[in-house]
Amino acid sequence: MSKLFTVIGYEIKDYLQNKSFIIMTILLTVVLFGGSFLPRVFDLSSMTGVEKDSSKSDDSDDSDDSEEADDSIAEEDLQLVVYLDEGNVVASEDTLKEFFPDCKFEKADSMDSIKKDVKSGKAAKGFYFKDNLHYEYIVLNSEMFDETEAMLEAYVTNSYKQQCLSSLGVDASSFVEQYEQIPEGKTTIMGKDASQNYWYCYILVIVIFMLIILYGVMIATSVTNEKSNRSIEVLVTSIDSTHLLFGKVFAGTIAVVIQVGVVMAAALIGYSINHDAWGNKLDMFLDIPANVLAGFIVFGVGGFIFYAFIYGALGALVSKTEDINKVAGSAQMIIMIVYFLVLLNLQSPDGAIMKVCSYLPISSYSAMFVRIAMGSVTRFEIVISAVVLFASTILVGWLAAKIYRMGTLRYGNPIKVSNALKLIKNQD
Amino acid sequence: MKLEVKDIKKTFGDKEILKGINFEVESGKALGLLGRNGAGKTTTIRILMDVFHANSGEILLDGEKFNPRKITIGYLPEERGLYPKRKVIDQMIYLARLRGVSKKKARENSIKWLKRLEVDEYANRALETLSKGNQQKVQLASTLVSEPNIVILDEPFSGLDPVNSQILKDVVNELIEEGRIVIFSSHQMSYVEEFCRDIVIINHGEVVLSGNLLDIQKEYGRDQLVISLVDTDLASSNAFLEKNLSDIIEITGFTKTDVIVKLKEGKNRMELFAALFENANKEGYEIEHFETYKPSLNDIFVERVGEDEQEQEEKANEANADNSKANEGGKENE
Repeated sequence: MSKLFTVIGYEIKDYLQNKSFIIMTILLTVVLFGGSFLPRVFDLSSMTGVEKDSSKSDDSDDSDDSEEADDSIAEEDLQLVVYLDEGNVVASEDTLKEFFPDCKFEKADSMDSIKKDVKSGKAAKGFYFKDNLHYEYIVLNSEMFDETEAMLEAYVTNSYKQQCLSSLGVDASSFVEQYEQIPEGKTTIMGKDASQNYWYCYILVIVIFMLIILYGVMIATSVTNEKSNRSIEVLVTSIDSTHLLFGKVFAGTIAVVIQVGVVMAAALIGYSINHDAWGNKLDMFLDIPANVLAGFIVFGVGGFIFYAFIYGALGALVSKTEDINKVAGSAQMIIMIVYFLVLLNLQSPDGAIMKVCSYLPISSYSAMFVRIAMGSVTRFEIVISAVVLFASTILVGWLAAKIYRMGTLRYGNPIKVSNALKLIKNQD
Repeated sequence: MKLEVKDIKKTFGDKEILKGINFEVESGKALGLLGRNGAGKTTTIRILMDVFHANSGEILLDGEKFNPRKITIGYLPEERGLYPKRKVIDQMIYLARLRGVSKKKARENSIKWLKRLEVDEYANRALETLSKGNQQKVQLASTLVSEPNIVILDEPFSGLDPVNSQILKDVVNELIEEGRIVIFSSHQMSYVEEFCRDIVIINHGEVVLSGNLLDIQKEYGRDQLVISLVDTDLASSNAFLEKNLSDIIEITGFTKTDVIVKLKEGKNRMELFAALFENANKEGYEIEHFETYKPSLNDIFVERVGEDEQEQEEKANEANADNSKANEGGKENE
């Protein structure tokens, strides 16, 4: 056993002395921890709803805040909108400003002059109101998320409704006051709030996927390097090859835990310090409940080791690092499929696909903690899934050690997985 | 200590790699494990080190079943291999620790062997920054860092200049003097002759010759002599001997300066010398050299393995001929 620890120690040292590992860990830690202090340094009130130098968010003052925000838009920052109102839709430019607070308005003589101003860049947009039910929005280049048309439709609809009410002799403002009452409602969530848990689950699914792919290839490369530089010739005569593979896999796992642990701790601690300054706006990403975090750690580590063994064994089947992708393609395909399946079913954590995925060892590392976070899963189901995952990991580790032992001293062309299994069977 | 390898057999798939290897080696004596490329030397060594399992046969140490995990073995593989990007001292300590040496002792031994091999100044440098010769010395230092009882050296001299070769020779002699078991595999026969008391020649997975090197040389030299004549080239000497002494000797080969001859059945040295003296005197030659032939290990190796190689080629040709006939028969049937 002490030899296993010697291998782990040596391999970990390799990770910890790796410049890219150190730089990436420090960079992410500094960026996330430092980034959490941004609202204390810069005015992010438009995003956070919290004024700089104010540690409290006051929801009751939202309207005032928004007025202040409106006032703060400088005249030169307002977009010019030229409009032609043939249908007398616009009661006054103030009504337009209510819908388009970041714009200033100027009347145009004709449709041609609107197009000319928009084309020349003098005006950002152009509105043509033909009558109460027909309008046109003119813009040079439409942006991906341009809400102008929707707002314009709302404005014309509103104008039409007001004219209808007037024609019926109803005072529009008092009608709206009485008609458009917003009922006070309250939602009591007895279980989990999917909308609240969605985003951090999304991020954690991506994180575990990236870790498996990145570190899996690193472990495979480490194994192949020992073949290509022939250090394996000496190593296998000094220690059982099973210890070598297990040492590499456990060292990779510890390196991942260190890196992710440091980076996540920086982000979570930073956010907890600056929670109020952010106006709770990042809760959806960083306010991760302890049980979900525990599920992520248990299933993430289990899944990582599961795939790390597979990558280690695959690394032993080739003699050159450039050949790793030739044998690792199938494993990577499975990881990709699991990744997309889980992401696409994130909104239905208790659906059939997620239920199946949460028990399969190839996918439970990702699917089960999503179900813990967003679905209805009993403790018994979690335990069963964890047992299946760790039992499968031990089985894969045992098989990987056999492949590793068989593959490490075979040089030349990559050995196919099917051939490797046949050779092992024949050896037995 | 006495290490005995008894009737080791090994197959890979359908191919029989070792067909029953036998040898033994004792402490303080070096064994030369020889053979052509692919003869089965490395497989034998790997079985000895428990990297491969033999299909049958056994390995004994002092009469007990040999367990390589319980005894320290230093192995210098033919294919050199260490971590190019890691510090020399780090990987030496690592290898020593894998062989069960404590951390403190591993560091002490690493420094000791780096100093002994005159590469201690590179202890904190990455291996890849060293010259090939120095990398080779670091590799040897790594082999010896665990102070092994059994040392297996596979082509230890390749890549070394004469100065470094001398350092290595001294180290190998020290290992032998210290009473370690040394198994020495090399194609450089002069080194094997220098270090090894016993030899084993493996060919096509079989031991074709084994035993005490001096005895083998004596046996191979029996009834063979070397003869040369003053101021006479080999061709003329050969012609002279063939013409005058062919009823007593047959010419079996040449060294750089001498003709190697073998006494024919029933003939002895005195008869040969008398005939040589008489004929040389008659034809005006002077005898320069008349001595018992001591074949070099190289000669023995070439003769022993070369013969087998010839037999194998003949067998292969016969087999090919049979196959051709069979194929022709097949075509006819079609």
